[in-house]
Amino acid sequence: MTRPRRDPRAERAAIRVPDRDGARPRYDRSARRPGGGRPRRDPRAERAGQRVAGPLRLRYDLGQVAPAEGPVRAEPAQRTAAPTILTVEAPDFLVVAVPDMAGGRLSAHDRQVLGAARILAGREGGVAVLAVGAGAGYGSAGADRLISLDDDPDAYDPAGRAARIAATLAALKPRHVLFPETLDGGDLARRVAVRMREPLFGNAEGLSPTGLIRPARGRSIEQRAAPGLLATIAPEAVAEYAGPPREARLLPVEIDASMRGAQEITQEILSAIRIPADPATVPLGLAEFVAAAGNGVTDLDTFRRLVAVLRATPGASRVLCDAGLMPRQTQVGASGTVLAATCYLALGISGAPQHLQGVAGCEHVVAVNTDLHAAMIERAGLAIVQDAQLIMPALLRLLGQEAGDPGDAA
Amino acid sequence: MTGLASLTTVFPGLVWAMAALALVQASRRAALWRLGTAASVAWLDGLAKLPRRYLVDVHHVVARDAYASRMHAVVAGGLLAASVLTALAILPPLGGFRPYWVLVAAAFGVTAAGSLLVGARRYPEKQKRLSAGRFQILPVLLVAYAVGGTVTALLLAFGGADGLLAPLALALAAAGGLGLAFEVRHGPMRHAAAGALHLVAHPRPGRFEGRPDTALQALDLDAPRLGSEVPADFAWNRLLSYDACVSCGRCEVACPAFAAGQPLNPKRLIQDLVAGFSPSEPAYAGAPYPGGRAAEGARGPLARLIGPDARIHPDTLWSCTTCRACVEECPMMIEHVDAVVALRRHQTLERGSLPEKAVGPVTDLRQTGDPGGRPLAARTDFAAGLDLPPISVRGEAAVLLWLGEGAYDLRYGRTLRALVRLLREAGVDFAVLGPEERDTGDLARRLGDEATFQALARANVATLARYRFERIVTADPHALHTLRNEYPAFGGCYTVVHHTALLLDLIRAGRLKPGRLPDLSVTYHDPCYLARYNGETEAPRAVLDAIGVNRAEMTRSGRRAMCCGGGGGAPVSDVPGERRIPDLRMAQAAETDAGIVAVACPSCTAMLEGVPDRKAEIRDIAELLLQAVEAGR
Amino acid sequence: MKIAILLSAGRHPVSGAAVLPRLEAQAIRLAAGLGQHIGLHAGPEAAVVAEALGQGLAHIQHAALPEEADPVPALATCLAALAPDLVLAGRRGQGGAETGIVPYAVADRLGYPLIPDIIAAAPGEEAGTLHLDQSLGRGARRRVTIRGPVVATVHPDAPASFAYAYGQARRGVIEPVVGALAPHPAPVPAVEERPYRRRPKLVKGAPAGSSAAERLKAATGEAGPASSGRLLVRPDPDEAAREILAHLRRIGVLAAPRDPR
Repeated sequence: MTRPRRDPRAERAAIRVPDRDGARPRYDRSARRPGGGRPRRDPRAERAGQRVAGPLRLRYDLGQVAPAEGPVRAEPAQRTAAPTILTVEAPDFLVVAVPDMAGGRLSAHDRQVLGAARILAGREGGVAVLAVGAGAGYGSAGADRLISLDDDPDAYDPAGRAARIAATLAALKPRHVLFPETLDGGDLARRVAVRMREPLFGNAEGLSPTGLIRPARGRSIEQRAAPGLLATIAPEAVAEYAGPPREARLLPVEIDASMRGAQEITQEILSAIRIPADPATVPLGLAEFVAAAGNGVTDLDTFRRLVAVLRATPGASRVLCDAGLMPRQTQVGASGTVLAATCYLALGISGAPQHLQGVAGCEHVVAVNTDLHAAMIERAGLAIVQDAQLIMPALLRLLGQEAGDPGDAA
Repeated sequence: MTGLASLTTVFPGLVWAMAALALVQASRRAALWRLGTAASVAWLDGLAKLPRRYLVDVHHVVARDAYASRMHAVVAGGLLAASVLTALAILPPLGGFRPYWVLVAAAFGVTAAGSLLVGARRYPEKQKRLSAGRFQILPVLLVAYAVGGTVTALLLAFGGADGLLAPLALALAAAGGLGLAFEVRHGPMRHAAAGALHLVAHPRPGRFEGRPDTALQALDLDAPRLGSEVPADFAWNRLLSYDACVSCGRCEVACPAFAAGQPLNPKRLIQDLVAGFSPSEPAYAGAPYPGGRAAEGARGPLARLIGPDARIHPDTLWSCTTCRACVEECPMMIEHVDAVVALRRHQTLERGSLPEKAVGPVTDLRQTGDPGGRPLAARTDFAAGLDLPPISVRGEAAVLLWLGEGAYDLRYGRTLRALVRLLREAGVDFAVLGPEERDTGDLARRLGDEATFQALARANVATLARYRFERIVTADPHALHTLRNEYPAFGGCYTVVHHTALLLDLIRAGRLKPGRLPDLSVTYHDPCYLARYNGETEAPRAVLDAIGVNRAEMTRSGRRAMCCGGGGGAPVSDVPGERRIPDLRMAQAAETDAGIVAVACPSCTAMLEGVPDRKAEIRDIAELLLQAVEAGR
Repeated sequence: MKIAILLSAGRHPVSGAAVLPRLEAQAIRLAAGLGQHIGLHAGPEAAVVAEALGQGLAHIQHAALPEEADPVPALATCLAALAPDLVLAGRRGQGGAETGIVPYAVADRLGYPLIPDIIAAAPGEEAGTLHLDQSLGRGARRRVTIRGPVVATVHPDAPASFAYAYGQARRGVIEPVVGALAPHPAPVPAVEERPYRRRPKLVKGAPAGSSAAERLKAATGEAGPASSGRLLVRPDPDEAAREILAHLRRIGVLAAPRDPR
């Protein structure tokens, strides 16, 4: 249901070879279908690649599955050479996506919201992205129009921004407006909803042109409704737009200056300071990057220095915590903290089942352990079978050199 | 002759004076006990049974340490006999009868010998578990009294009472004797007075009737104060029982938390309770709480007992696994676990200060009826593919299988699958409650959340009332104890059988025909809630013997087995220590060289399985029996 | 400082039992460190929020409303009468529609500013001001200094709630709000309800419209950045260190090296 409907006409348009005479359309069928799919095999070329040079008769090395000499298809070169931009000249209606643009870039979730907007827009509608400031990549994410909101991206004034968005929407009269269900996006959506006196369909986990689905009552039921004006999209619920790039043409919006609240700012907010997470003190369960020591680490001072230089959050195995070498709150595992880190660097940890339960939610695991058969080595994306006591000074040395301070190497 | 006449009066008079002093000191002490709340005590019954309770029940515990038993028999018997005989000599015909004094001298001589035995435990070096302080002068006082008494009596028997020796000997006896009597208030001799009274007014008289009186007493949730916050919240006979403590340290030797270096020492805990209600108590002189905490805290009947700055740190309270090893070992029959639970009840019910990690499980228990917050219907998921009939279909079954919390655990699911297959094999008519089974509330109750426990108990009793069954069978000793011993207070009286007992019955009835597995070497780890709480130690061993395994016993086994660390909410409280209790237990199991540690409890299974680098396999009795039954086909 | 905590009738997601939503229990804890706090519930039954009395709240005001009535006007009326410096609410309800819109509607009606997703609160240096720490995820925060009164919603990363104490719950007071609160019917959303069906999460790295084989590859981690599954046996420590740093930078948890000047 979340897979976008294929548009054969657009796909054909994308592979159309521009020709001079214009007598009849010509297409390059060798190009990979937009939106992925399995690459087409070319058995003849593969066979040629397996051929072993020899004088008398043809010999092949069948164990070698390496790609054939010439690429099977020259798709990247062709695609970049002729980027065909899809345009929608006069959309019947607009679907507006309001991305978070954290750090001035579209996040994966933002792209998913644009993908959702694309689904709702269908062939007749147009997707407009309503973004603060500049930014790029809207077209490839599926936006036909770009509405630039004149707002300070760094200022914290959600009520003011909501007022300006509401005013823009009032002028634009879109059919649907989608927000990401994030801390900021969800907040903005609810402010806009209250201001526009419109119901909000929050946290949609399923989406089709005819209906949105959201969980309710502690995920015991789900609610389905036809798409209304305002909705927020849950993360990882809708696929990103994968079709050919669109134009993301700038769409000027005239906001009636008398529009309520269009220029207001929240007077009550005296200041707003962003305090970045300090990896040394952030609770282990929230940390993004955890470096943990186990039984294989005996020099804990080096470990602590390494953790500080890597800007990681320190963790430890149960054995070290039991021995009192690391504080109890650093213990990773079922009886300690269960992590949600992006990356877990395990130094000298073999990976007892209870410990592995604690790192089950980590996206990437890097393990250093002397035992090739340790469970942690099995689990790791990058596994180094080596003594952690040797790796830690090497890491410190390398990081010291990179920082341009060879003195740190000791 | 005058000297002799006066000595025959003065010497017995000394003993009478000692008795008077002891009485004064004891009554000063009794004023403190009266700070406690009222308790109903069957005085006449207790008094009548005192000799039996002392000679049988107390002796049974004391005799586990043969030296202490002999020492106590000699010194206490001699002291009592010599003092009574001397006191009787106040009657002129006896006082003037010389052979009588030979008898007295003999009694004092026995006391002297006993005193030396007492002293040998403390000098030149004190045994580790004993307390120092005033206990160190006890042998000195005893020797003085006994030697002084012996010499005086000998002088009276064989003449020479006019000499210079008589006043010296009498003075020695007086110093020792009056010293002993004085010690009834704060010193070692308190255990004699308080201990005797404690045996009469024991809060759990059922202990002496040969049945395991181990159920926690239900708390009146409408009472103005819930649980014990200050010493005055304890019943008077509980305060009395803490005064009976003789600081022998057997509890600290048995305590798994103490062994693991968690901040709990049962002896210190009891002595802290004593010091709590006795403002002028001398300083504690035994082993401290592990972890070296120095806080003393306020004293007095209305001073808070638990707190980071109070006498007892919360970590001490939450370290207890409620395994009852201390209670089992206590020669003074003190109920440590009741004290811990009373204190926990106040912390949980009135202050909401559960240990941080225990809040989640207790909250889930209250809100969902399962400490993991899992759907009740998922309890039977372990039995996918097995025929596990819910009792709601027929409304009755011969055996109601109580699955317990272990059913959610992947590892323990294997055990339950084995049990279900054995029941099928034996053709037992059984059923489960399925989604209607709530947790028994054991965890909540041990952690002091009596309100949640009672709510769950009432709900479960109401559920069980809807169905007909002959008995409940469970593989979880915690559930067994709660259902069998604690639910009757809420109107649920059931015949509850542990799975090992049922399996033994089935083997004996010939309905299960196990083969023999002589190649397996097995040691059996007794679950606290089966062995100590319910006295069942034989059925599991009989099952193991029936399948012919090579069975070895650990040093600590049966009713004196060591806890796995899984009871009383200790795993969820997770108070840090220097070692882990299950690691210690597995080390003890390794001493037997057995390849398999047989268990009969989901908590033990989980705790012992979690030991890193263990050499032995952990297998439930049911799994071993199933293996034998399959081997016997 | 006077704090009002909006309490809702929560349901446990597993058992369906009436419970105090976790976020509101956390709100009570935040408020307990600030000053005098009072609970406020608008709904048909006061018993459903009685659990809050055991979690650090001594006093709850209950505005009785029919089942289908909109709680927002009643809450706004009660809050206007209470005139608190801070109104705390959970960021979402629990067990109901879980839209998270009520605090916004209340703030809008009262004309108070709203600060979402706070994890800590402290009085500001200047009278009438507050420091509110907002969660930005992963331990990052934004400290907003604001002039009250203000509505704030509580984020799950706020300190854990107090444990339930039965004895305290016994002593707590639920006081009905007297005075006619005209019930406004709540807008009935046109939704169709059915049992929840778990949906597969999108697999990261799997291109849309890809084949099943590709999705499987992406799901099992054989594709994408984690795919490498690289194993170095007994490498030179310096080489291993270079590998690790390069890998950490690919993942994006380690900043690129500074340019040597």
